[in-house]
Amino acid sequence: MQVKEIFSSQLPVGETLSIKRSRFEPFKKSDNLKRISIVSGTHGDELEGQYAIYLLTSWLSENPDAISGIIDIYPAVNALGIDTITRGFPLYEVDLNRVFPGGEDGFLPGQLVHALVQDVKGSDIAIDIHSSNIFLREIPQIRINKEFSNSTLPLAKELNCDFIWIHDAVTVLEATFSHTMNSLGTKTLVVEMGVGMRVTKEYGKQLLCGMLNLMKKEGIITTEKSFEAREPFLSEVGEVFYLNSPSSGLFVPALDHCAIIKKNEKIGTIVEPLTGTVLDTLYAPNGGILFTLREFPVVYEGSLLARIFGEKDR
Amino acid sequence: MKIVEIAKFTSLNRAPLVIEGYLFEGSDPEAPSVAVVGAMEGKNILPLYTASKLVDFLKNKIQNEDKIKGNILIIPSINSYALNINERFWPLDKTDINMMFPGYELGETTQRIAKKVFDAICGYNYGIILESRDDLSNCIPYVKLFKSGFEDIEGAKTFGFRLISHKELTPIDTVTLQYNWQLWETKAYSIICPNANQIDINSSNEIFEGIVQFLSKNGLIGYKVLNGFESTVATQDEVEIVKAPKSGIFITTRKEGTCVSKDDVIGQIVHSLNGEIIYNFLAPCNGMIVCCYKNGLILEGTLTFRLIGSG
Ligand SMILES: [Zn+2]
Repeated sequence: MQVKEIFSSQLPVGETLSIKRSRFEPFKKSDNLKRISIVSGTHGDELEGQYAIYLLTSWLSENPDAISGIIDIYPAVNALGIDTITRGFPLYEVDLNRVFPGGEDGFLPGQLVHALVQDVKGSDIAIDIHSSNIFLREIPQIRINKEFSNSTLPLAKELNCDFIWIHDAVTVLEATFSHTMNSLGTKTLVVEMGVGMRVTKEYGKQLLCGMLNLMKKEGIITTEKSFEAREPFLSEVGEVFYLNSPSSGLFVPALDHCAIIKKNEKIGTIVEPLTGTVLDTLYAPNGGILFTLREFPVVYEGSLLARIFGEKDR
Repeated sequence: MKIVEIAKFTSLNRAPLVIEGYLFEGSDPEAPSVAVVGAMEGKNILPLYTASKLVDFLKNKIQNEDKIKGNILIIPSINSYALNINERFWPLDKTDINMMFPGYELGETTQRIAKKVFDAICGYNYGIILESRDDLSNCIPYVKLFKSGFEDIEGAKTFGFRLISHKELTPIDTVTLQYNWQLWETKAYSIICPNANQIDINSSNEIFEGIVQFLSKNGLIGYKVLNGFESTVATQDEVEIVKAPKSGIFITTRKEGTCVSKDDVIGQIVHSLNGEIIYNFLAPCNGMIVCCYKNGLILEGTLTFRLIGSG
């Protein structure tokens, strides 16, 4: 394994910001090896990818003989943000996943993402691991842009996630890592799982199994060990229902994340501590699985509380 | 003049956020109309000040109500929750209201805010958006127009600013107010104000006078003003950039708005611990500095100066 710096910037007082990549490759090098890039930490407050990547790099370190392709690991795209609980690139307060593909002559965050694109370019596959944000907890899922679904959907099914959400093309999302890499011919998958600022150990293990399964299928690792991928449910066979808060207050959930629920089941309440008032009671607009649930309790009118995936009631 | 409530949002503990518009009804039904949008971000001090100064001007300074020809709606503040605590974006989820247009009434909080604002300002002939740059630099006041196919360069010239930046449309620009307003057939212009935390009277006056000139030249008010500049329209290719090759303490020796000759020293980087000058920024061409990095500490690679060449 070798570590390389892909971008650096001296900070004003005696410190250098360094974005690093580690590379795992077979002892016997040869041409035409398949290459996969695993990327995370674009949002500094999303840490699930840190653990999932740790599990992967430690597996690779323990099983060096299994490596039959190139595995590039970029755990901390927004390194400064991760170490400072800052979602965006510090100082600029900019979401790095909205400045792709960046450029050498752009502002500093744009230079950083440009360097990442240049380094990942040429990979056959890329996986970008996110963990929602600090507000919402998500079931392990893959988000796929319809535009690229022909090439990415078969790979997504190998990743041992619970849900594959195929969404329409949205212009603003062209500024993301995944759109940029897919446009450059790298089949790129976006994983969303867990919640910001926390690590969910079972999700990390679940994704590890999926990544190993995908790499084995693609010939990037060769091993006797078998990895099973669960059958994900696809967004196309049902519908996603959103539940946004009708009022501002404190959200108290009545159900656990990932519960299977029925239409009109109580999801939670919005309350006011000062007076003991229940401002609103929320009921499921449809039956299905509660795959997104609000974790951060303070809400404003409009704050997303839950998402349910289910078949539309007739 | 009447005050209209555009939106009201409650909060768990804070007093409600009320977005108000100041509506001046014009005396001439044939005259065009304009809406002016002030602070969408909590650091938009100059946009807030300029918009509120415009309210004062129309209400108290212009003397005779007949001088207001067309309907003028001014919304000085949209994001007062952020202004009041010196946050930049929506204080809870840190989303940018100016990336939520055209808005969605059933969406997230800031999408709902954007929707209410957009509903209130749709249908005006002209739209003026007071913004500031998002990249830690200060510029001379200028008009920013996206190459959207709907942009109105000739109209932008009537502000009389030195510069009109005619910018390529990027994916994230498609969710801004300017782009969506134009899509809905309002001639919209973004005026980029310096980023300062304090009011700089000179640039504030320049922006204010530019808006008054615009209102006058486009038949919204009957009020004579001195002409401004004959604006230069510049695309990104015409801008020379200067990056910082080192980090440290940054000192500008030539500010935005100054004309320089090639190889003039325009700034310095001082080693942050031993105090030595470790780098002199030289002007890459003859021309004007239009934009300058604003912080006292600088990172390696920072885009520090933008110039527009002369000659
Ligand atoms: Zn993320």
